Amino acid sequence: MSEASTPVFSVRNLWKVFGPKAERVPGSELAELPAAELRERTGCTAAVRDVSFDVEKGEVFVVMGLSGSGKSTLVRCLTRLIEPTSGTLAIDGEDVLAMDTHRLRELRRHRAAMVFQHFGLLPHRTVLDNVAYGLEIQGLGKAERRAKAAELVEKVGLAGLEDRRPSQLSGGQQQRVGLARALAVDPSVLLFDEPFSALDPLIRREMQDEVVRLHREEGRTMVFITHDLSEALRLGTRIALMRDGGIVQLGTPEEIVGSPADDYVREFVRDVPREQVLTVATAMRPPTAGESESGPALRPRATVSEAIEAVSRSGGPVARVMDDGRLLGVVDHACLLDVVAGTGEGIAAREVTV
Amino acid sequence: MATAQATTRTASGPPGKGALAALRERPALAKILALLVVAAVAVPLAHARWGGGVWPGALTVDLSGPLGEVNDWIIGNRDSHPLFLYFFGHISNAVVLSVRGVYLALLALGWAGVTAVAALVAWRTAGWRLALTAGLSFLLCGLLGMWVPTMQTLALMVVAVLVSVVLGLLLGLAGGLSDRTFRVLRPVLDTMQVLPAFAYLLPVVLVFGIGVPGAVLATVVYAAPPMARLTALGLRGADPGVMEAVASLGATGRQRLLSARLPLARKELLLGLNQTIMMALSMAVIASVIGAGGLGDRVYQALSSVDVGAALAAGIPIVLLAVVLDRTTEAAGRRIGAEPTGPAALRGARGWGLAALIAAAVAVVGRFTGGRIWPEGTVVPIAEPVNTAKDWMVDHLYTGVPVIGGTADWAAHFTNWVLNPLRDGLQGLPWWAVLLIVAALAWTIGTWRTAATAVLAMAAIGVLGVWDLSMDTLSQVVAAVAVTLVLGFGIAVGAARSRRLERLLRPVLDVFQTMPQFVYLIPVVALFGVGRAPAAAAAVVYALPAVVRITTQGLRGVDPAAMECARSLGATSGQRLRQVQIPLARPALLLAVNQGVVLVLAVVIIGGLVGSGALGYEVVFGLAQGDLATGLVAGAAIVCLGLMLDRVTQPTTRRQRKES
Repeated sequence: MSEASTPVFSVRNLWKVFGPKAERVPGSELAELPAAELRERTGCTAAVRDVSFDVEKGEVFVVMGLSGSGKSTLVRCLTRLIEPTSGTLAIDGEDVLAMDTHRLRELRRHRAAMVFQHFGLLPHRTVLDNVAYGLEIQGLGKAERRAKAAELVEKVGLAGLEDRRPSQLSGGQQQRVGLARALAVDPSVLLFDEPFSALDPLIRREMQDEVVRLHREEGRTMVFITHDLSEALRLGTRIALMRDGGIVQLGTPEEIVGSPADDYVREFVRDVPREQVLTVATAMRPPTAGESESGPALRPRATVSEAIEAVSRSGGPVARVMDDGRLLGVVDHACLLDVVAGTGEGIAAREVTV
Repeated sequence: MATAQATTRTASGPPGKGALAALRERPALAKILALLVVAAVAVPLAHARWGGGVWPGALTVDLSGPLGEVNDWIIGNRDSHPLFLYFFGHISNAVVLSVRGVYLALLALGWAGVTAVAALVAWRTAGWRLALTAGLSFLLCGLLGMWVPTMQTLALMVVAVLVSVVLGLLLGLAGGLSDRTFRVLRPVLDTMQVLPAFAYLLPVVLVFGIGVPGAVLATVVYAAPPMARLTALGLRGADPGVMEAVASLGATGRQRLLSARLPLARKELLLGLNQTIMMALSMAVIASVIGAGGLGDRVYQALSSVDVGAALAAGIPIVLLAVVLDRTTEAAGRRIGAEPTGPAALRGARGWGLAALIAAAVAVVGRFTGGRIWPEGTVVPIAEPVNTAKDWMVDHLYTGVPVIGGTADWAAHFTNWVLNPLRDGLQGLPWWAVLLIVAALAWTIGTWRTAATAVLAMAAIGVLGVWDLSMDTLSQVVAAVAVTLVLGFGIAVGAARSRRLERLLRPVLDVFQTMPQFVYLIPVVALFGVGRAPAAAAAVVYALPAVVRITTQGLRGVDPAAMECARSLGATSGQRLRQVQIPLARPALLLAVNQGVVLVLAVVIIGGLVGSGALGYEVVFGLAQGDLATGLVAGAAIVCLGLMLDRVTQPTTRRQRKES
């Protein structure tokens, strides 16, 4: 993650308003109205309200929110499957909203591929031809695209099922096909729209692992839409939490859980096992004399639950937080319990600005 | 929104809130009361102005004069006017040439070749069982001495179906891709599907005259709507998720259509093809009245001389053709999405190649051994024995059978005791009373829109000056529909209760539903002679399968949880039927009534060919005498009657027609 590179997606003041004469809403006094009043006065619904964010290269950017919060509309705006009402939107620095049909098609073909909640597979094609579909659209020859597709079928773990039809596959397998189809075009960014919501919990877990694995292996940039908080925390490098079309908080999982921006977010993350999300870097305190010599050493990114395990195993009072041999701080029983209980100023003092 | 909520609150509130609340609770009653108020004002006014119960002459427009002039002008200018020379003339020639070409090709293939092709196509799409049926059917056509007429009908069908499919696809594409076109197209197509086939004949004859071109074009006009309708519906029904996924991969509009939207609509397209073929066959047979030739013509000629044997000999090939065509296209629709079966060597293109090879071989061998024409010596003449049997029936079954009477007695009784009083009653009713009844029925079942259309259509009949004739037709329709519904609902309740009865009925219904309307006239003429009763009987038999099927499906489709709940509360089977099944199956029952009415009307009109008189006869008479003006007026009245009957029985939500 080099700091200097241009963001993959750069979104500024993006609006999507559905309804009659939608373009008058952004920027007017109507923009300030709550959703119900806006609908009553204009017949319009603001699905995305004044949203700004950057997606950095190589990260998994999760957009999370309940249904109706505008997250699915937002991700569709990124490739203009839904035309945004106003705002600016750039991919790798290039203005997406200024693209003509041809250029936009190129964007969809080569730079951003999407995985859908309901898979969107073509029922009359085999698995192999579904995976090859994106390449076919690009005009690749039959042998070439099939070879490439076979490779990806293998990669997502569907080897041997190439000649099946989508209707003969389980939900998880169908989504693997969807994933392979998106990967086949080798896009610079992958967009996921609630890809695992329609799956059983066990399969969902398995598919999440698959995404984690893919991300680790290829380091591909991903934008991931979900309504499932645990999924967001599991996958996200950063999370944008949406409500009523706007972003309520944007930060790392640790920031979202550790220092919720408002009551809505706090309510949202209330049941999250905090010790599994927060790191010792958040929980630590400055060492007092003598504490810097003994005790187990931890990375700053280690979670609190790992620290609890380390401390209780060592039997000592503290664990040291070390970064490249440099002592950053220590965590003792009190620090760690504060995190678990969600109390104490240890966290409040270190609140991260959004 | 707020008012609606208030209404429900009032409706569920404490009783005794007054008459207004009671009306709100029962919208049907409110509608009828509103109509009565309108009637109380309008009827005295109308009475004062025109007087009497007969449709006022002042409101009648005599179209026979102008229509006759148009007809004369067309006949006078058919060979000279540029419109005919450069437009209709070319169409006409093209149709004649292509039908002739297909006919010659079929003859050139020889009977062996055609039979082989039919069997092999059936084998590839539906398996060896149907292949056997197809092969035997074609051989039977030859055995009955009907090879040449069968080929004539087939040639006309091939051309008509091809044109219908192309036209339907184009219209369907336009409707499927553009919302505006769809909004215009849909009501037109829906209406065209409920009109009796006879209504299409006269305008075509007016332009093209009697002959093959007119017959083909009438068939196309009749058969293209289902293709267009189902294509449009199929294209519009494409899974939006899939379409979005395709768009997200950067597909162009063309790619989206060709690689996703059309393949996703394959089921509807094949259903459209099936319906188009069946409607084309039905019309190709009826169009014998305007010179289509072929099997229909043989039936038509035989019926007009009450030669039941000859009619049956030509009718059987029609039924066989219908069954084979229907099963083959239906199987093609069913196989979609299924895994290819059978040995790998026979799948896909290889199987078709093998089939083509066999067909070619059989055709060549046939040419060298047997010749092209069905051998004269092997024809089994069934006309004679059938007529002998029929004569025996006339002598022994028509009348005087102890206790039960005879078939002719039944027909006479039905005419005297049901049809005549009904006709006299309808004709005796003041015209405004008929309009009011129509409005009341249409409004209580449907919306004010359907009611308005129905009333306007009925009024148009009066304006056309064929009120009495239409009342005659209407009386036959009402009587036949009543019988159909009583029988149909009875059978359906039985079939919904007993799996065994349903299993027994299914193949019978399948065959009955595929047969063209025209064929039903043959057995009823044999049984009941000619007249209005036989026409009504044919209508009942034709409409019964659809009514039984829709009703059975409706009763069977009732939420099992509701049925289980009723059973757990200790309801008897009669209570379950009355209190759960029938109320929940109401939409299906209404649809059955609607279908019954539309189908009955179609056959009652055709009944004009076997002496049912009224509007159908006017059309036949107009065609036979070259008096197109009379025929056209009757045709327009048929359209209005069809429109009225459909709207009167049209439930608010309309389902897809001929669901199978």
